[in-house]
Amino acid sequence: MPIVTNFSDLDLSKQYTYADYLLWQFSERVELIRGFIKKMSPAPKRIHQEISHNISGIFYSNFRHQSCKMYTAPFDVRLPIPSKKRDTTVVQPDICIVCDKSKLDEAGCNGAPDLIIEILSPGNTKHDVDTKFSLYEEAGVKEYWMVEPLEKLVFIYTLQNEKYIGLKPFSEDETIKSPLFPDLQISLKDIFEDI
Amino acid sequence: MPIVTNFSDLDLSKQYTYADYLLWQFEERVELIRGFIKKMSPAPSRTHQVVSRKLTRYIDRYFEHKPCGFFVAPFDVRLVGKNKKNKELITVVQPDLCVICDLEKLDERGCLGAPDLVIEILSLGNSKIEMGEKFRLYEENEVKEYWIVKPIENSIFVYTLQNGKYIGLKPCIEGEKIISPLFPDLDFEIDKIFDSI
Repeated sequence: MPIVTNFSDLDLSKQYTYADYLLWQFSERVELIRGFIKKMSPAPKRIHQEISHNISGIFYSNFRHQSCKMYTAPFDVRLPIPSKKRDTTVVQPDICIVCDKSKLDEAGCNGAPDLIIEILSPGNTKHDVDTKFSLYEEAGVKEYWMVEPLEKLVFIYTLQNEKYIGLKPFSEDETIKSPLFPDLQISLKDIFEDI
Repeated sequence: MPIVTNFSDLDLSKQYTYADYLLWQFEERVELIRGFIKKMSPAPSRTHQVVSRKLTRYIDRYFEHKPCGFFVAPFDVRLVGKNKKNKELITVVQPDLCVICDLEKLDERGCLGAPDLVIEILSLGNSKIEMGEKFRLYEENEVKEYWIVKPIENSIFVYTLQNGKYIGLKPCIEGEKIISPLFPDLDFEIDKIFDSI
């Protein structure tokens, strides 16, 4: 297969694999969702960046000497989707935590992270709230957080019997207690600091 | 107890009861949450109004020939909390929309007890109370289903009571139909609620 250097040479109605993805050398950021290409926004907005920094800072200090590893976008995660062929889904979550180190390789993470956090952006919510929600659920990501900057809310879904169950949404003044990492306490004030 | 005609005469750090609430004759709209006064916004935003009206249209149609009552704010719902014998009612809320199927709960003043379904429409600034205090209040009072409507993202978050706890379903977002475990036939495309806002 040849290397692709122009995004426009790709056929958006076609299904691709991770092997194809590795040959793409254009500057556009893309994800591969059940084989289909999903173009990402060129650069997320400033608020998105700040929230990402705040959250990753909190996780960094908490996981520094732990066996779990934290990664922030851009970082390729190849998700196993039982209903699809192997290697047809590659996503770049805003933040992810991987506790099983055997999933990590040079290219990124090959398998489902334990926790994924996406920061919602206006205009792109369907991708995170619908498409990725279903993907992460099917791939067995144990916990999924959606961070909503406008109203300063955090929605947490936790996997039970292969289905996501939503906890009470967290709003300003509240502290997140993650079912997956019960020792971790994150106040929303810290997540939305200076925003 | 005397009638209160000025909102400013109330002490916001004090706990009141429904008996007090009935004596308030000022213009401000308030709710009483566990005895504390919560002032509501003077008039909800235009978006809030449009979404409320469209929801009303679909829900009203659904319940037209069903033995359930459907009400739109302002409508007082008095919640009794865990202690059902508590005569000192200290929680009075005005949900944006609510459905009550136990008609014995209805009286001239509104609803005494938990509705089956409560729908609140978020506007910027009120999410803390709808997501925090009211969420817990509705859960504790066993409102079977709670919808949180978010016009900003054209989405509806549905929470359903299981073993006394709310469980969040996959959020409904543009292009999808609402799923209500409580009223399975109540299905409409949520785009119809949010279009032309």
